[in-house]
Amino acid sequence: MTDRTRLALLLAPALLVLGGLFLTGLGLTLLRSFRYMPALGLTDPDLSAYVAILTAPGFLTSLTLSLWIATTSTLIAATLALATALLLRQTFPGRAIISFLVQLNLTIPHIVGAIGILYLFSQSGSFARLAHAAGLIATPAQFPILTQDPTGIGIILLYVWKELPFITLILLANMQALGDDHESVARSLGASRWQAFRHVLLPMLMPGLLAASTLVFAFAFGAYEVPLILGAHAPKALPVLAWQASTDTDLATRPEAMAMAVVIALIGVALLALYARALAKGGSGAR
Amino acid sequence: MTRLSLHGLRKTYPGTGQAAVHGIDLTVESGSLTALLGPSGCGKTTTMKLIAGLIAPDAGEVRLDASPITALPPERRGVTMVFQDPLLFPHQTIAQNIGFGLRMRGLPPARIAESVAAMLSRVRLDGLGDRRPAALSGGQQQRAALARALVLQPRVLLLDEPLSNLDPGLRDEMRQLIRSLQQETGITTIVVTHDQAEAVALADQIVLILEGRLAQQGPPDALYRRPAALAVARFFGGVNFLPGRSQGGLFHSAVGPLTLPPGAPEGDHVLTLRPEALRLGPGPNPRTARITSVTFLGTQTRVGLAVDGTALQALTTPDLASALVPGGEVTVSLPPEALWLLPPEATLSDPGQPIR
Amino acid sequence: MRADLRTLAGLALAGFLVLPLIPLVGWSVAQGWRFPDLLPDRISAQAWTFALSPQSGVLASFATTTLIAATTTLLAILIGLPAGRALGMYRFRGRSLVLLLLLAPALLPGIAVVFGLHGMMLRLGLAGTIPGVILAHLVPVLPYMTLVMAAVFARFDPAFEDQARSLGATPWQTFRTVTLPAILPGLMIAALFAFLVSWSQYLLTLSIGGGRVQTLPLLLFSFASAGRNDITAAIALLYILPGLLILAVIARRITGRGAALTERLHP
Repeated sequence: MTDRTRLALLLAPALLVLGGLFLTGLGLTLLRSFRYMPALGLTDPDLSAYVAILTAPGFLTSLTLSLWIATTSTLIAATLALATALLLRQTFPGRAIISFLVQLNLTIPHIVGAIGILYLFSQSGSFARLAHAAGLIATPAQFPILTQDPTGIGIILLYVWKELPFITLILLANMQALGDDHESVARSLGASRWQAFRHVLLPMLMPGLLAASTLVFAFAFGAYEVPLILGAHAPKALPVLAWQASTDTDLATRPEAMAMAVVIALIGVALLALYARALAKGGSGAR
Repeated sequence: MTRLSLHGLRKTYPGTGQAAVHGIDLTVESGSLTALLGPSGCGKTTTMKLIAGLIAPDAGEVRLDASPITALPPERRGVTMVFQDPLLFPHQTIAQNIGFGLRMRGLPPARIAESVAAMLSRVRLDGLGDRRPAALSGGQQQRAALARALVLQPRVLLLDEPLSNLDPGLRDEMRQLIRSLQQETGITTIVVTHDQAEAVALADQIVLILEGRLAQQGPPDALYRRPAALAVARFFGGVNFLPGRSQGGLFHSAVGPLTLPPGAPEGDHVLTLRPEALRLGPGPNPRTARITSVTFLGTQTRVGLAVDGTALQALTTPDLASALVPGGEVTVSLPPEALWLLPPEATLSDPGQPIR
Repeated sequence: MRADLRTLAGLALAGFLVLPLIPLVGWSVAQGWRFPDLLPDRISAQAWTFALSPQSGVLASFATTTLIAATTTLLAILIGLPAGRALGMYRFRGRSLVLLLLLAPALLPGIAVVFGLHGMMLRLGLAGTIPGVILAHLVPVLPYMTLVMAAVFARFDPAFEDQARSLGATPWQTFRTVTLPAILPGLMIAALFAFLVSWSQYLLTLSIGGGRVQTLPLLLFSFASAGRNDITAAIALLYILPGLLILAVIARRITGRGAALTERLHP
């Protein structure tokens, strides 16, 4: 057996399954977004679904909301993760417990975290009760709206809580792979602790941090169940809007759902390109 | 006792376009200890893997005695290869590692245990059978790897650079172990090495491979003193090369006529003389040389010389060289019996004619 | 930073990390817990009793979810292990294209494929069935498994296999006695996390299962939207149990070298 045959045999099942499921799924979505659905008698592809969503105000608001949620969550989570990774690199009493909690968080499904955040931050949640006990508010309505709010604060809180450990673990793995020799050299060349971090460690961590952040952004932008639980009735996050359009009793809105899915996919493809670039830039630890 | 022969063996790695092994024809005599010698990247390891069956040749055949084994998978060839790294399986103990091949053959555990115990003691690893590979020193790991192959009593044993991962002190020990085990068992053994000194010290036969081709085969002494081609002489540390013409027992070159040994071929040749054979002092073929450098190398001293503008090198003992200073003059002699003629445009596929 | 300041920062972090789990624990044992009470009226096992009783369907759902996640993982191993070997041990033309195809499902949101996937499953008669859901879960799980196994195989020295073959092992013996033990730790971690990735799926199950395949997250959501905080909390805690067990199994391995493997975990 030649190497080529062996490679083909090794890869064939994975390519068949992924190609069959993923590419077909994507392709069918694309076809339907052009209103090509022979089963419903639609055989002339057109762009009217795209026109419809772009002219309706709801879509652009939802797109903006989803981009806002993804950007804010990623920035906050990445910054805090960097600080956490730097903290966990040091030794201090209790470090083992924190490391364990960071990993524990990784195993908790988003939906559970979302319910937890809801019970904590809703207007009748734990913090509202604490505020009441402290005499700050008298009724739930006086507590600020932090969940199911139009600006997605609850959603952002959940993503920061859930993705901070994820990015932290990637950064810790990268730091471990890098060692501290480079920083030691920088210090011996006269750099302060901060300068060694800023000019030596941070640039070396950047590819891994970028790759991890891209994954987080992609997830926060496209996830459905989190905004379903923590999102407001209006505006809806884009994935929620798309899903509801697809389950609408009015079959005419289906192509619009598909068109929204395609827009989400396109943004995902752009992120994929970013991710590939971040990896190519040398983040071997970011695998 | 098995004779191994390669017939027109050729291998090109896909994508490289350049042959790693260019049609090698070679016979390794039964029971011999042969060194496959050549610089890194010359195709030695590829040749070994072709013999072991770990890669398939593009053309050619491998035979054990008269029967071709080219189509057999590695586990059915009776050829066992020991790699440069010991490659002991980390999840198995040393004893389990040594018994690996016997287990694969499905031998009863009691017999395996017996063979392993005997082998452990033969390579002086008694009492270490229960250890994990990581608990052993580099030298011990290398011996365990050797034992793991020998316990199978292969028809042909291939050792890929068995000494290169060892500290200089351990090399001698390992070299002696390989020699004595080989003589005891009589297994046809090929040792790959890039180090000509190691090949000379270890093997009874040397096969020199240069650029994927067989350059010369013979006992160490023959390759050392009677190289078939310029490239062979260079590989064995030859530094003195004088182009010229052989006519009537004299070699006419830039340093004037030199008396050749009887029977030397006529015509254009390159004359070579090993640096340690170039004598400092009067004798046959005397010349006056200017000393250009004196380099103390420990047990020897290298003396750079210029004879009529031609650079030559001599290796001598530090005692004899103590009086020499750069810029001075000295009488040197080129003993005819040490002069060797190489074909001028010697190519590897067209080995030079021996002159005696 | 001084050590006690680090501890303080660590405490704040620890608090933040466990915070959302605290009300879940509270609610799961609460009976009557109205605003603005800081503590429930009564501590009771009522929610747990209901959640664990047959009529709640939680245990059946737990079994369904386990079956789906275990089968998905098994399939992902069978398919992803060879592909991971090809990607980790060989350099070949088109390798980056294959990597891209693997990264795409990890990066593209599920909503982008779920509609088309549902159409396909309808055509195949697999919509609303457990096999259909398992196939759909392969979309996020298989890339994860393959990429982790590629990283594992990249660290595996193929010379060990050559050595085993040369010592008389057949290809199958070589895999079983040499390759498998070497990749087993990595494979274990990959399999456990693949299980968790499938375990956490919501949208794919909702869409392909069409309401007829009730996994735990679906059940959890329906109790949450019904406003039954106590039962929701009990189910949520049951739901995170396998993750805790898995973490306990591999807690030591996940730090350090193994941390790189967790990077793909993104349910």
